[in-house]
Order: sequence, then structure tokens, then C-alpha cells
Amino acid sequence: MLELVNVVKKFNISGNKEDERTALDHISLQVKPGEFITIIGGNGSGKSTTLNIVSGSLTPDSGKVTINGFDITHMPEYKRAGYFGRVFQDPMVGTAANMSVYENLEIAYARGRTHKPWKWGFSASHKKYFIEELKKFGLNLEDRLNQKVGVMSGGQRQALTLLMATMRQMPSERIIKRDYVRFCEGNKSKAKEEVLKGFKDAKEERKQALTALNNESLSKEERKARKVEIRNEYTSKISRFDLTKQILLLDEHTAALDPKTARKVLELTDKAVRDNHMTTLMVTHNMKDALTYGDRLIMFHLGHIILDVSGEKKNKLTVEDLLKMFEDADKKAEQ
Amino acid sequence: MPYIVSVIFNILTSGLPCCLLALGIYLTFRILDFADLTAEGSLLIGGSFAIALIKIGVNPFVATLVATLGGGLCGYLTSVFYTKLRIPKILCGIITMTATSSIALLILGLTSKDSSFINIVSLDTDNETVFSLFYYGDPIFRPLIKTGIMLAFVVLIFVIIYFFFGTEYGIAIRSTGINEKMSRAQGINTKQASIVALVISNALIGLAGALICQSNRGCSVGYSTGYLVVGLASIIIGETIFGNKTFKRSLIAISIGAIIYFVIINVAIELGLNGNLLNLLYAVLIVFALSLPLIKRGIIYLVKERREKHA
Repeated sequence: MLELVNVVKKFNISGNKEDERTALDHISLQVKPGEFITIIGGNGSGKSTTLNIVSGSLTPDSGKVTINGFDITHMPEYKRAGYFGRVFQDPMVGTAANMSVYENLEIAYARGRTHKPWKWGFSASHKKYFIEELKKFGLNLEDRLNQKVGVMSGGQRQALTLLMATMRQMPSERIIKRDYVRFCEGNKSKAKEEVLKGFKDAKEERKQALTALNNESLSKEERKARKVEIRNEYTSKISRFDLTKQILLLDEHTAALDPKTARKVLELTDKAVRDNHMTTLMVTHNMKDALTYGDRLIMFHLGHIILDVSGEKKNKLTVEDLLKMFEDADKKAEQ
Repeated sequence: MPYIVSVIFNILTSGLPCCLLALGIYLTFRILDFADLTAEGSLLIGGSFAIALIKIGVNPFVATLVATLGGGLCGYLTSVFYTKLRIPKILCGIITMTATSSIALLILGLTSKDSSFINIVSLDTDNETVFSLFYYGDPIFRPLIKTGIMLAFVVLIFVIIYFFFGTEYGIAIRSTGINEKMSRAQGINTKQASIVALVISNALIGLAGALICQSNRGCSVGYSTGYLVVGLASIIIGETIFGNKTFKRSLIAISIGAIIYFVIINVAIELGLNGNLLNLLYAVLIVFALSLPLIKRGIIYLVKERREKHA
């Protein structure tokens, strides 16, 4: 569970008192796992600032950000990248223009673990996986794997960024262990014992299976198939401990696209979120989209959360209701 | 030996070290998108380390290695200014470059007991260099051996660079240069990546300096002035002629670009260009190279028009 506790963020602190602007005024927010939240609000109401504080681009002046109780408020942006997938408003920001689609995907696939200087950066199995994933988008991107991203349209780039933000490789064993202890609820030392024991058991079983295999008399192909089977079994045992569920942060990611492309990208987003059961925070200016997608809606106004509805209540809301709320909030602020 | 052959070897022995220099500058200028003016400083440090150490009796290969590390240290200094002290990119390089001219004086001062400030140091005839270690047989083959050793260095570095930038970390460095915000969002430690890229780049330039000075059998404070332009010109000439479609292609293009640069300079001198006009020629060359894409497009357009007229 992602949690913001009493977060305050001010801009222009060093200047005059008059220039100072409070972007977030004691914001507290709890995001349950698997929730799809849409965030709306006027310009400068603090919605983008919230996403930037969650992702680590900005540090709050006070308050904290936690995942399952683990404090990430001051963790550098690149270190927490493994927990977040991000799509930005500007299609140019989310991808490296001067690199090919394939290279961009390889970078994103290594997110959440260190980029190793001794490991070759390209692999045929990754490529196969990327092609399969790109085919699901239906934008013919799979045929353009070796093209530079810079020559593509904004919609295609945004779709590519979306894939980069949603796909994820199973992290290394060291990281699984670390994150299991980090994000477990309750006793930490007990969790450490638990995960170490789980790994040990899985390794022991694999070893036994392999020795048993050596004693059997099998043909080469059968032996190979059995080995793959044993490896998959081991991986599935370990992946039980893989607690890190990615959180998707979408910062007005369709605002720079034409209506038709925006619709397409939004549909892809919705599908990706549903397929991967991702926790999602989506900032949007389009109130209709905010009502159509997601299962919880939050409205920001001048650094405060003035509306937080979910479920049935959200389904009953209309665009007119939201507009009225905006006007009321504005009037209230003027008085 | 025919005169033309000696000119060719002259071009190769001055051009090959500049391949390394151009590759080093390419890593910062193009890949990291960092206008790094440290280049001339690390070239000077590399050269002075190599010459000073050889003169006091160190093995030339060890001296070359130290020169490479010295160049890398200059790059590290620049990167610390940029990442830790947040000084603007262009100033970081200038600061390091300024400091190196004093440091080079100190290093060259190691060779003599009485004075710590010496402007020019030449190797004695019995001092060995990485080239003279391999001089066998007739002196007529010496330029050939020298070229061979330089080529070996260039090929070695080329292979190392190519494979390093194909690894996960190498790709991370490349993406840092293209889009820093995206790289951070993808979990790349962009500060560390900039530091590594700057160190590698300046280490290559330090190595280039060591080779140039050993080839000339001497080093003077100020010899490195103007080499930044040589490196940039090599990059631009290479890229405009051979293109930069893939990373491998860019690397090859730049190496050949450095050679082409020296071909042009040497041809100009052979044709009787006044030595005083050399810097003017450099400037003209760079303007020409930079406008090559436009000229290329103009030629294609003219050819097309003519074809249409005939048709």
C-alpha cells in the first residue's frame, strides 16, 4: 500500500514571502493495492506535484511517503524506479529519441536492478518477448524494432513509453530477498528468516531434482526438457516472495495527443492496467476520462484534496457535478 | 624510401593517436552531450606524465598506463565539479584545463633536480618509448613499426569501447546523454553514469597524449593547444561522410575522420601552404565539414533537377 502522510511542498521558498507558493498543503492519501485512481484538478492545484513526490523527482518539505510502511521519502529517484512505472505528459520525455525501439525497451526491462557493466545488453529471448508485447498494441511497432524512436509519432512514442512502464523482469534473488523484508507487514527479522528458509528449500529441492535426473537414463532432448521444467519450478517457488508490485504513474499522458490517438492510448492504458493488476495513479484534465476510467476519483484544489470518491458513488457522478464542485471551490477560496 | 611513402607514414603516425583523441571527445560531446573542454588538459597531463616518467627511467608501458590514468583523473575532477558542486558544464572543463597547465609543469619538473618549473622536456637518445622498444632491423622500417603499434592501440581501444557500450551499463550511459529524466525514471544512476563516461573519455585522451609525445620524443607545456579542434573536426568530417546510423558505424566513421583530417592538412602543406596559415586552414576545414550536409543535399537536388530536365 502506497501512503502519503501529511505531505507539504512549497515552491520559491528562498524568495520573498509573497512569491512563495504552497503546492501541497498537508496532503494525506492512502492507495490500496490494485486501485486505479484518477486525479483531476485545475492548473497548479498540486496533482502533478503529488506524482513527482511519489516518484522522487521532488522531495517534500515535510511529511513522508511510504510503501507498506517502508519510508521512501528520501530515497533517490533512480533507486525507487523499480517500484514505479511512469508515463509523462510530453511524449519526448518518456523515451530516448536517438536510440532504437529495441534499445529503449532493453533499458526499461532492466529497471529495478542495477545495469551491469559486464553483462551484454541485448538478448534474443528479450527481443522475442518485446515483439509479443508490441503485437498486443496493434500499432505495427513490432516491425519497427530497429528504428530510432525519434522518427515516430507522439502517439506511438506514448504507447511505447506505456509498455516500458508496465513490463517488468523478475528481479534478482538478492533484490527479491531485500524487498520481501522491506515490504512485509509485521516482524522484519521473522520475515528475513522466512525468506532465507524459502530460498534454501527451493535450492535444496532443485539440487535433489538435478541429482535424480543425472541417475536416470534419458535421451538428450528429454534431459533438456526436464532441466527446463526443474528451473521453472524453482522460479515459481521463488516468485512467491516477489512482493514488489509496480505502481503506474501517469501524468496527463494523453494531453499532447490528438483526440483519436488519445482515445487509443487510454484504451491501451486501461487494458495494461487490468491485465497486470497494477496500482495506478492517473492525472488527467479530461473529466469525462476521469469518470470513465478507474475505480476511485480524487479532486485537488489549491493543494488540498476536496473530493475523494470511489465505487458506486463515483459511478453516479457526472461531468456537470464535477464542474459545479470546481466552481464552488473557487468561490470558497475567493471569500 | 620514396617521398610519398614517408608522407603517408607521417599522416598515419600523427593521425592514429588523434583517432583515440577523437573517440574520447566523441564519448562526451556526442554520447554524453557534455561539451567537455577538459580534453586539452588531459592530453597535456597524459603527455607530460609519459615523458617525465620515461625520462626518470620508468618502463614506457607503465608510463603510458599512468598517463592514461592521469587523463582519467582529470575527467573525474571535471565530473565532480559538475555532479557534486553543480558548476555549469562548460565551466567545469575550463577549470580543469586551467589547473592542468600548472600541474603539467610540476610533473615535467620531476625530471630535473634543481628547478621545479620546466617548460619543455625532450627524451634522451637512450630513453626507450613504446615504439622504440620494438625497433628491429633496418631503421627504414621504423615508421612502419611505429604505425603498427599505434594501430594496435587504436584497434584495442576500439574493441573495448564497442563492447563496453553494448553492455547494460554502456546502454545506460548512452541513454543518460540522450534523455536524463527518462534515464532516472528507468532506474539509472545518471550522476554515476556521467562520471564514468567522463573518466573513460579523458583516459582515452590521456593515452592519446602519451602516444603523441612519445612519437615526438618530447613534451612542452602548450603542445596540446588546438587539439580539441582537431578532435571535433575529425568527428564532424567522419560523421558527415560515413554517417552515424548505428553506434559501430559512428565509431568507425570518427576514426577514419581523424585520418582524413591529417590527409587534408598534409596535402595542403605539400602543395606549399604557408605554415602561418595553418590555423586558418583548420577553421576553414571545420566550417566546410559542418556545412557538408547542406552541400550534400544541394548536390542531390541539382542531380535530380538535371535528370528531370533530360527526361
